[in-house]
Amino acid sequence: MTLALDAEWKLLTDLIEERFGLSFTGVRRDILASRLAPRFRSLQCANPLEYYYHLKSHPERDRELAQLAMTLTNNETYFFREAHHFECVARHVIPSLNGELHARPLRILSAGCSSGEEPYSLVMTLQAMGLEAHLPHGWEVEACDLNPARLAQARDGAYEETSLRNCDEETRRRYFTRDGTRFVLRERHRAGVRFFTCNLAAPVMPLGTARYDVILCRNLLIYFGETAFMALIERFARALVPGGYLMLGHSESLIDRSPSFRAMVLNGMVVYQCSANDG
Amino acid sequence: MIPVAGARQLAAVHDMDEPGRLVAILAALEDEAPVVREQAVRYAARYLEPARLVRLVANDERAVLRNGAIAALERQGPCAVPPLEMVLAGPVDAELAMFTLQVLTRVADRHSAAAILPFLHHANANVAQAAIEALGAFRASEAVPDLLALMGGNLWLQLASVNALGEIGDARAAGPLLELAPDSLLAIPALQALGKLPAPAVAVPLAQLVCDVREPASREAALLALADVVARNPADPAVLHALSLVAGAADEPTLLRMVQGAVATVDDAPGPSRLRVAAATIAVSAPVAAAWAPALVVLAEATDLVGILLRTTGPRLVPLIVSHLRDGGPRVRSLIVEFASAEVIPPPLLLGALRDSHALVRAAACRALGPLQLAESVVPLVELLKAGCDEERAAAATALACQPSGHIAPLAECLAPSDEPELLCHALGVLEATGGQLHLERVLELAHHASAPVRRAALRALAGLGDRRVEPLLLRALADVDPEVPAEALELLVQRGGKRTLDNLMALLSVSDSLRFRVIRALGRLRVARAAPKLEALYPDCPLHEQLEVVGALVLIAAPGLRDFLRARLSEPNLELRRAAARGLAGLAGTEDLPQLASLASDADWNVRNEAARGLARLPLEESRPLLLTLARDVESVVAVTAREAFTGEPARTWALSS
Repeated sequence: MTLALDAEWKLLTDLIEERFGLSFTGVRRDILASRLAPRFRSLQCANPLEYYYHLKSHPERDRELAQLAMTLTNNETYFFREAHHFECVARHVIPSLNGELHARPLRILSAGCSSGEEPYSLVMTLQAMGLEAHLPHGWEVEACDLNPARLAQARDGAYEETSLRNCDEETRRRYFTRDGTRFVLRERHRAGVRFFTCNLAAPVMPLGTARYDVILCRNLLIYFGETAFMALIERFARALVPGGYLMLGHSESLIDRSPSFRAMVLNGMVVYQCSANDG
Repeated sequence: MIPVAGARQLAAVHDMDEPGRLVAILAALEDEAPVVREQAVRYAARYLEPARLVRLVANDERAVLRNGAIAALERQGPCAVPPLEMVLAGPVDAELAMFTLQVLTRVADRHSAAAILPFLHHANANVAQAAIEALGAFRASEAVPDLLALMGGNLWLQLASVNALGEIGDARAAGPLLELAPDSLLAIPALQALGKLPAPAVAVPLAQLVCDVREPASREAALLALADVVARNPADPAVLHALSLVAGAADEPTLLRMVQGAVATVDDAPGPSRLRVAAATIAVSAPVAAAWAPALVVLAEATDLVGILLRTTGPRLVPLIVSHLRDGGPRVRSLIVEFASAEVIPPPLLLGALRDSHALVRAAACRALGPLQLAESVVPLVELLKAGCDEERAAAATALACQPSGHIAPLAECLAPSDEPELLCHALGVLEATGGQLHLERVLELAHHASAPVRRAALRALAGLGDRRVEPLLLRALADVDPEVPAEALELLVQRGGKRTLDNLMALLSVSDSLRFRVIRALGRLRVARAAPKLEALYPDCPLHEQLEVVGALVLIAAPGLRDFLRARLSEPNLELRRAAARGLAGLAGTEDLPQLASLASDADWNVRNEAARGLARLPLEESRPLLLTLARDVESVVAVTAREAFTGEPARTWALSS
């Protein structure tokens, strides 16, 4: 009985990995089971196989796949999480591109941006360091996520206290206005950020509109299976300008994993520089 | 780029001849890219014989290849055991012996213990240590005398033996391990091992160590071990005696500081540390009065021990508990109310707790009162259901659901159609749990409520009743505008069963709508034999999601002709239909299906191979053994595990004997 159930779960986790790149093997299967329990109840599915059939063959499978994406990607984040990456962009990346940025904007992608805390934190950092004056064409920050509900929240720019857990009183006053229990990001700090829905595991989905100088993809790849991980890294390589930077979360590493990137230390932390490519 | 060269070669391995396959796999095992090497290990486990892999392990000049071979042997699991045991049976150098022991440890075939035992006394200490660790991992009690003997020798072997004795958990080790308590190097591992023994009597010497030892690390180790013993045997007389010793010494300043300090530690990681939980266990059960309340809260965060300890040790601690119920914070009061036995907190006190100033305590009182089924608790529980916060409502509903149906007349106050949907759902949930016809008219009315969750809850409350109006109501609900209501209604109809339901389901089979796949599923679950011809007739022209249900339903019905139907489905172009057919065939496999299962066993799809393994496991082993042995090394772990299940209980070394 347990073995049969294992096989049913594998059908489901393989499908999820294929569609979204997310891996739910080993102990993470229990997390998946608990997240899917409401979907099972709602659809009257008695076991993983019935839910798998629903996703594979039911006429309304696309709606359920969208619902599944939201169920799986409700990862919360917060402002100025691992803020050293933002400082690294300001102190090292921008100076290294000085010549080019006289002719075009700085382009950055925040991949897996959830409700927008990361791209907004980056903009706030660039503004706080007075870089608007030094970049005649400014910046274009594009930010994508699989979950449309999260992106809607990002566009609203309104956050609960928990998103500001890393912000002191001064930061809160400077960047936000209070609206009851929520904090609304001031309009000026939202400028230049564009959000779009993107399934990073779907190779046909365009990865933004331009080639980027920097891609931030932090604390997302740890949930990816090996195949999806490698495929996404190569998509990033194609989406970066030659010499562009990929910044990952502190528990994620590309060392010895992709010849398209070389690890280097900037500002005391490891970042990955894209080898010259032909796009 | 992704390391494509090695990956591409590996992808073609299935179709290569044997020499080409061998070359490709060996090359990939030494590929520069870890991802290719990992993939190669799966193929090596599938296609290279264990004996060949063992030879690669013996080759000490190519370390990367050796590592790959070791990983592949581990992946082969029990299939690799016979050649590994043969290595140990012959003359073997120390390095190969050590690797062999390590692989056997990870394969974890308990029957290997006999082959490993002689290596406990190997001249090379690393080999002996690997043998000790293997036998510890196998919990091989036959190794205990040798392990006890080894405690007199080399320090590293002593240490490994102590750990192994703890893993084995044999009471014979208690005395020798206690003798190590004064040992400056071995005391802590010995105490850790003692905590794992199924010997409640060790609680007393451990308690004495907790009281008397001043050196902090050893004292903490003794505390951890004692807490483990207490958690496993809270009501054992020796444990209770041990706890009284700690209670008697609890005023001793260094002991009190240690317990209080550990209980109050701020944890770095999520959840309390082991030491914190151990200190809390002892502080609650001994008790250590000064740390009792915070310890109770720590325990509640970390384990389900609170209830057990309060019930077993509580009767000795009535004055302490009652004083905390009076003066403690809301969390402490709620834990006492919820978990203390009636001997400590009698029902009148619990009823009083329903009027506590804090919602946490009121909710806890609900949870405690439910199982007591006191008629006088119903009115205040209904009040909380109506007016409480979310947690109180949920707890009150659970408590009311425990009542006999004759008690819950006051629930009428929560069933007015104008009441909020959440309250109505809770109240209907209570009626569903208690059964009976109380408030029937009101519930029938609520089955037409504007809120879909209320309609669903009303249908659930009605479904178990025999009233003649229920069945038509459920049938009408199949056409509800909210898609979740028909699904629920159908499920309830299936649960009700009965000829009329079956007739209705058969009629619904002719209606091609969004509910029909559920109807098909329901007919399968109810094993309606007369539905089989109609389902087979429906199959060719219905959409895929219904076809899958038809296959599943026919398998459950097991109508005549099923085998032929399933075999025909194995030729379907759609993979899911083939998988469903293979699943069905596996469930009814007999000797006549052997050729079919043999074909499925080499299918390109892992799920089909898995079903083949399931089917083969139903046949006499003498017929299916060779196929199962191949599947037991499948590149997909799920398939390998399914195939290995067929050999459960059979020592791995005998698996291949009859092939």
